[in-house]
Amino acid sequence: MCGILAVLGCSDDSQAKRVRVLELSRRLKHRGPDWSGLYHHGDFYLAHQRLAIVDPASGDQPLFNEDRKIVVTVNGEIYNHEQLRRHLPNHKFRTGTNCEVIAHLYEEYGEEFVDMLDGMFSFVLLDTRNNHFIASRDAVGITSLYIGWGLDGSVWISSELKGLNDDCEHFETFPPGHLYSSKEGALRRWYNPTWFSEAIPSTPYDPLVLRRAFENSVIKRLMTDVPFGVLLSGGLDSSLVASITARHLAGTKAAKLWGTQLHSFCVGLKGSPDLKAAKEVADYLGTVHHEFYFTVQDGIDAIEDVIYHIETYDVTTIRASTPMFLMSRKIKSLGVKMVMSGEGSDEVFGGYLYFHKAPNKEEFHRETCRKIKALHQYDCLRANKATSAWGLEARVPFLDKEFINVAMSIDPEWKLIKPEEGRIEKWVLRKAFDDEENPYLPKHILYRQKEQFSDGVGYSWIDGLKAHAEQHVTDKMMLNATHIYPHNTPTTKEAYYYRMIFERFFPQNPARMTVPGGPSVACSTAKAIEWDASWSNNLDPSGRAALGVHLSAYDQKLPSAGNLGPNIIDVVPRIVSVPGVAIRS
Amino acid sequence: MCGILAVFGCVDNSQAKRSRIIELSRRLRHRGPDWSGLHCYQDCYLAHQRLAIVDPASGDQPLYNENKTVVVTVNGEIYNHKDLRQKLTSHEFRTGSDCEVIAHLYEDYGEEFVDMLDGMFSFVLLDTRDKSFIAARDAIGITPLYMGWGLDGSVWFASEMKALSDDCERFMSFPPGHIYSSKQGGLRRWYNPPWFSEHIPSTPYDPLVVREAFEKAVVKRLMTDVPFGVLLSGGLDSSLVAAVASRHLAESEAACQWGSQLHTFCIGLKGSPDLKAAREVADYLGTRHHEFYFTVQEGIDALEEVIYHIETYDVTTIRASTPMFLMSRKIKSLGVKMVISGEGSDEIFGGYLYFHKAPNKEEFHEETCRKIKALHLYDCLRANKSTSAWGVEARVPFLDKGFINIAMSIDPEWKMIRRDIGRIEKWVLRNAFDDDQNPYLPKHILYRQKEQFSDGVGYSWIDGLKDHANLHVTDAMLSHAGFIYPENTPTTKEAYYYRTIFEKFFPKNSARSTVPGGPSVACSTAKAVEWDAAWSKNLDPSGRAALGVHASAYEEAAEANNASVINGPPQKQRGGVVEKTATVA
Repeated sequence: MCGILAVLGCSDDSQAKRVRVLELSRRLKHRGPDWSGLYHHGDFYLAHQRLAIVDPASGDQPLFNEDRKIVVTVNGEIYNHEQLRRHLPNHKFRTGTNCEVIAHLYEEYGEEFVDMLDGMFSFVLLDTRNNHFIASRDAVGITSLYIGWGLDGSVWISSELKGLNDDCEHFETFPPGHLYSSKEGALRRWYNPTWFSEAIPSTPYDPLVLRRAFENSVIKRLMTDVPFGVLLSGGLDSSLVASITARHLAGTKAAKLWGTQLHSFCVGLKGSPDLKAAKEVADYLGTVHHEFYFTVQDGIDAIEDVIYHIETYDVTTIRASTPMFLMSRKIKSLGVKMVMSGEGSDEVFGGYLYFHKAPNKEEFHRETCRKIKALHQYDCLRANKATSAWGLEARVPFLDKEFINVAMSIDPEWKLIKPEEGRIEKWVLRKAFDDEENPYLPKHILYRQKEQFSDGVGYSWIDGLKAHAEQHVTDKMMLNATHIYPHNTPTTKEAYYYRMIFERFFPQNPARMTVPGGPSVACSTAKAIEWDASWSNNLDPSGRAALGVHLSAYDQKLPSAGNLGPNIIDVVPRIVSVPGVAIRS
Repeated sequence: MCGILAVFGCVDNSQAKRSRIIELSRRLRHRGPDWSGLHCYQDCYLAHQRLAIVDPASGDQPLYNENKTVVVTVNGEIYNHKDLRQKLTSHEFRTGSDCEVIAHLYEDYGEEFVDMLDGMFSFVLLDTRDKSFIAARDAIGITPLYMGWGLDGSVWFASEMKALSDDCERFMSFPPGHIYSSKQGGLRRWYNPPWFSEHIPSTPYDPLVVREAFEKAVVKRLMTDVPFGVLLSGGLDSSLVAAVASRHLAESEAACQWGSQLHTFCIGLKGSPDLKAAREVADYLGTRHHEFYFTVQEGIDALEEVIYHIETYDVTTIRASTPMFLMSRKIKSLGVKMVISGEGSDEIFGGYLYFHKAPNKEEFHEETCRKIKALHLYDCLRANKSTSAWGVEARVPFLDKGFINIAMSIDPEWKMIRRDIGRIEKWVLRNAFDDDQNPYLPKHILYRQKEQFSDGVGYSWIDGLKDHANLHVTDAMLSHAGFIYPENTPTTKEAYYYRTIFEKFFPKNSARSTVPGGPSVACSTAKAVEWDAAWSKNLDPSGRAALGVHASAYEEAAEANNASVINGPPQKQRGGVVEKTATVA
């Protein structure tokens, strides 16, 4: 990843302003430790902090078209840049970087080129001929981006909140799949796939089509000039990513430079379920596997830093970000700059446990659509910022535009969880990679039931966080929570604890508005809570919270409505459930 | 390098204090991006940010003795750790880290072990059995260390000022070669070599002894488990380091892992003298040479960050640090974590141009002693902090304890610059490596005259800095300098400009007292200004400033008034410097 910051039309071209922009850009240095650049034209500033993944030698930014009239600062990867270059035969390229096409595409197609880009990106482009500018963010919001407005009439664009929150009167999350054009002075959505309307699709499920789409999406992400690896938790999604990567690594340019053996990484408390599961997969695939351990104390000590980097007070996101943040530091210290990760599969296929209770295929499908649209506030934000904190780039093949199109056009009847027919969560994905002759994964891994990320690192992680918050947030503090935090009021001590830290770093009102809130049960949207009347009484953000769908939950009656979240967690027995089997029985 | 922070006896051992220490320790994270650790024992905190060079897998700090009663946090490299381990046969080591010996040595020898360490280091050791602690810094101060006192009775130690300046009532540079012991309640010098008294030595010069001592110093610095390289400016010192390192690389452990071809790095404005000279040496030695270019604008944009990292307002240090700072970022982005550099040679051998005017060998020798003692405020500070800013470690073989002893025991008559018999600066060093059979360097490089570092990166660098300062510092501002900055009053606009930046980051009295001042001409000490009556009227910190010793300066003597000194010699003359330099050799 890189870090971008643009200040556009600030009516101030003094040295003091330049120094200020440089200073703000440095707040994004963790995203791009390799080099920085600042382009300054009148009262327009485009700053860049670079993580060099493709063309480390010459790709320093900002980037330009031939006559340097068009300047662009980009955070991202354009996987189809070589094809796009071929569409631009009369253009001369200065660098080997994949992002340079953006400047040339703009020359050729004006503002209408964004949908031609295949990849993850956030960029700001300035046309110095008329001081017109555009900013845009990728379809799903894999890369982070914020937009703000200054009292002096300036427009600000930044990869992270911390790049603009102190200098803007108002700011918000830049909506994914959108384009801001200074001509219109407004945002418009450029991403218009069929699934976006939430109409129920009817294409019958074809396992091979799905398999091919996903393989393609992994292969195009092997484009790199630096060492890379795979985040492997041992769950279905990361295991599939690892399996396909290992299979296709040999033919890539990366393999010629860095060897054909794949590196895989896993983090956990010592003895955690993830470590065990990932080791098993790594052994099967023959990857060079790296295990990292952290203690609950290590995690708690990192919380402030995590919240500063992740820029959220969402409880599940912070819980899951912390191990990922710690692991990223270790990965980076090994010299690895890029990792592939499994985010997005649960949203696309309805992998969360609460999907068991989807009343019908229509509800199921619409919930997956809502989940994908919200990804940029949850798992995309986590995956991007937890890794970028240490100059590590995360690529997410499940969020490939093409792959989403294929996966979201399947008749959702196929995605419904039907224990009686042996279909557990994400069955369509599992089935697609169930190849007897040339197995991607052993059957028991392929059909293993989901372990939520924060649980998988070790059950005592979440308990440790709660115990810590319990110690430092008093009942009295909780009593006043609604007055102190009227917006998205924290309802648990843990949430209150995170919120205090967030407010210290980002005290402005718009900052707290960038974080989603509302009722949720085990990562559901507010809408899906209607699926089960008992849920609204048991709102807890954890995936381990009993939903009445996990083996252990069947064994034990749900506590009465009066019980609060922590109790629910505590009554669940600490066993790694045997997936699938339980639901069938 | 790593970053250390320790606080003893702070009364408060709350969670808030722990968070605060973690926050302060994070200010040193650039020094040790790979991992961090915190050991808390009652009201004592030892924090560490690690750059993993030796034993990346298990050497996380703080480190302990066998029963964990002795805790130590170290920034540094102990080159003789294997020999020391052999002396500690009854001890059991937990890690492969070279710094672990410190805990065990303390157990066996008490506070008297520091002189047994061969290397560069700053450490803080806590003995939990009686809650006593010691802190020590290497002989010359290659690694930085600061010490401070809190109003609550606490004692603080930190690798950089920024970690303690906000929380201490008073603080200072920890003197090199010293140890602080809580039992004895004060600082005392542990480093007592014969040269320290500044007596004039009488050992006759033996070129082979000097050569062997330096080769040893380089070879022991090849101890590494990560990729490394050499900073090569093409001058005598860095070229010798590169020549010796590439000669011995093949037989080192590092070569087995990273290949036997040495990487060398050089930075400059495009077309600069250093780039040309370094390229020539690299070609001769057959190294894998990397050239980095920067523009004057990039350098100026980096100034704030440089001053924040380097923690000085000394003009020559800032000028020379900026290119080194920029280069370190590029080096790190290539995956290189350690570099060997040529600092210290000019001090030991009297390599600065003003040494031409040393009236006699006694004065010459005493000045070299003074220069070595002040290194920690100038070149050591620059080399350490500009590389550590990006998590790169700099090793300086010229400052090897054994080598200094040998070089400083030579009768200074041999070091005197005597044109009449063909002895230019550093002749004893040049002659030591003048091997006709198996040449280390071609003769014309071996006998090339010094190009000061800030000049070598390109003459327009310093001119650009001056122009920039002239633009942003008015005459009125400078005329009030004596009132605003009564201590070390800036006398030029450039100095004023740097000072305002420094004061912004480090506003306390204690901070400005850590920076040396006083009259100086071309890096001389105040004492040596007495060597030439004309100098005291022409105080300018640049090495290029006319001293009447460089060929070009003789010609332009008539123009040697204040204005021309500050603005630098005219363009035409600069070409002359390069050409004339060659003829001197």
